[in-house]
Amino acid sequence: MDKTASFEDAADLGGRSSAGADAILVSPIGPIDSVLSEAVCREVQRIFGARVRQEPLLSSVEFALDLERRQYHSTRILEHLAKRVPPSTLKIIGIVSVDLFIPILTHVYGEAQLGGIAAVVSTFRLLEPLGPVKAKADLASRLGKEAAHELGHTFKLRHCPNPTCIMHYCRSLRDVDMKSLKLCPYCRVLLEDEKKRLAKQKLRQPQ
Amino acid sequence: MSGTQILIVDDERIMRDSLAGWLIRDGHAVETAVSGEEALEIIKKKRFDILLVDIRMEGISGLEVLRQVTESDPDVAVIMITAYGSISTAIEAMKNGARDYLLKPFDPEELGVLIEKIVDEQARSRETLFLKEAYEERTRFESMIGQSRSMQSVFDFIRDIAPSEATILITGETGTGKGLAAKAIHSQSPRCDGPFVVVNCGAIPEHLMESELFGHQKGAFTDAKETKKGRLELAHGGTLFLDEIGEIGMRMQIDLLRVLEDRVFYRVGGTQPIEADFRVITATNRDLEEAIAKEAFREDLFYRLNVISFAMPPLRERKEDIPLLVEHFLHRFSRETNRPVDGISREALDEMMLYDWPGNVRELQNAVERAVVVGKKRKIQPEDLPFCLAPAGLPTGSALKDVEKAHIARVLNENQWNVARTARILEIDRSTLYTKIRKYNLEPPE
Ligand SMILES: [Zn+2]
Ligand SMILES: [Zn+2]
Repeated sequence: MDKTASFEDAADLGGRSSAGADAILVSPIGPIDSVLSEAVCREVQRIFGARVRQEPLLSSVEFALDLERRQYHSTRILEHLAKRVPPSTLKIIGIVSVDLFIPILTHVYGEAQLGGIAAVVSTFRLLEPLGPVKAKADLASRLGKEAAHELGHTFKLRHCPNPTCIMHYCRSLRDVDMKSLKLCPYCRVLLEDEKKRLAKQKLRQPQ
Repeated sequence: MSGTQILIVDDERIMRDSLAGWLIRDGHAVETAVSGEEALEIIKKKRFDILLVDIRMEGISGLEVLRQVTESDPDVAVIMITAYGSISTAIEAMKNGARDYLLKPFDPEELGVLIEKIVDEQARSRETLFLKEAYEERTRFESMIGQSRSMQSVFDFIRDIAPSEATILITGETGTGKGLAAKAIHSQSPRCDGPFVVVNCGAIPEHLMESELFGHQKGAFTDAKETKKGRLELAHGGTLFLDEIGEIGMRMQIDLLRVLEDRVFYRVGGTQPIEADFRVITATNRDLEEAIAKEAFREDLFYRLNVISFAMPPLRERKEDIPLLVEHFLHRFSRETNRPVDGISREALDEMMLYDWPGNVRELQNAVERAVVVGKKRKIQPEDLPFCLAPAGLPTGSALKDVEKAHIARVLNENQWNVARTARILEIDRSTLYTKIRKYNLEPPE
């Protein structure tokens, strides 16, 4: 983690948007509790060691509504987010509260462009069996994990067999609760590789 | 190296794309076909582990794809994709050999469980084959032979670099004697009294690789009934030779890099560091720089391995060594087999000088061995050489599959049943070869 110290110094949730390295944008869409979006910012900052900024870009995801399924097509949300990224954005993750799907599956917790720029995650399916008391803290923890997981895909990470790793594919909420808030050593190495590659690429083609 | 190979056959683009995207993020190598016709074309050229086939398509139907695929390759797991209206067809497909069916849209949990189960089963059957192979692996060390200028400079180079501790990468085509060169380096090095441990990275199934290399602690996983030393540990004080290094997966590359950097390693499930006291020599017939460009091989690992490198020349570039090699192998095999063959006819030697030797010295060695066994005269004749009679080797009425079987068996034997290498020579992927071995019931000799 030493290598990312310079990133961490520059990290603060909010300001200094244009200075220094590219930032990961956390973008709530629609009514998202700020406790949740801030939790996502925190996890993303910690796991990816990049500057993180919160900024709403879309007011709703109604354009992605499928009338027959009454669910929202996550791939279309990714396309919209990708089109709207402001300059100096490393990656963007949207947070929504609606039920997401991709056409072949009944539902997804989120989706991401593998090696691309955009990811999206939803609170909808993460809520289910939570009791009222701990609800918000547990939901924040689940959302943080799934948001980091989807962002991991944008850094070319694929699913990991290690059940405690953030990149493990969770079939159920039990799996989500079981995994830690960390990347396993392999995925960490692969993430660092990709970050280095992106940094090199940026040096080669200054915007 | 690239995990499970999956082909999606669906004429509906949005289904195809969303399924492909999901499976790729899950870590599989995915291709798509827009129709049954296209699927059958793709399958002719490449082998897949899993097919996901939509039942209802224009033109060739999913059922027909299933029929043709299971006929040519019964080990492919075919999963039918169905909609509510076509469940009865799906059940019919199950009777005809489909592995399972999924109802559109799939529950992600169901899809995940099914794919994982199939991948596990296929890995296990590959493991059985590997264990058998490893048991029957023939190792025969030879000295390297050659008076050609190119071989003399290889000998000089080996003499120069052997005394150091530097990591060495040997490149060169299959059969050029990279293993012999590694062994020669070891035996001329200060570590010559230590062990020379060979790991054929192309032959070990990926899921066994970690415990094979690093060993494991008793109880580290379900099958770990005893503590087992890995090959790194067995190489203590000697040389570790990693053959076909280009075949190792991403995770193993990360592990190896760490060992080379830290000079310590751990058994799987172990907590005590073990000192990495060995010299590393690796070999490959792949273009690693090209693999780096494709992000299939780590650049940092490459630089660690490529401290010193040299190439073994292909036999066709040192044909002047052929008479010497033939004489050497002839003596050896006539002694070993007790056959009174004491020379080679002028015509047979001419054929050998004209031939291109894609399998290099190993192919030559096998050709001589075979000639000694099948030859009826005291001197080897052209008709004793496999490449002279290849077209006439089978009766003209042979079915294509008989020719294929014979050819695969021959190339396997010429390569000591090294599946990775054989697959490369045959220009098919490893899993295709595994399937064909099973399909034709091929077995290593003895
Ligand atoms: Zn995922
Ligand atoms: Zn991982």
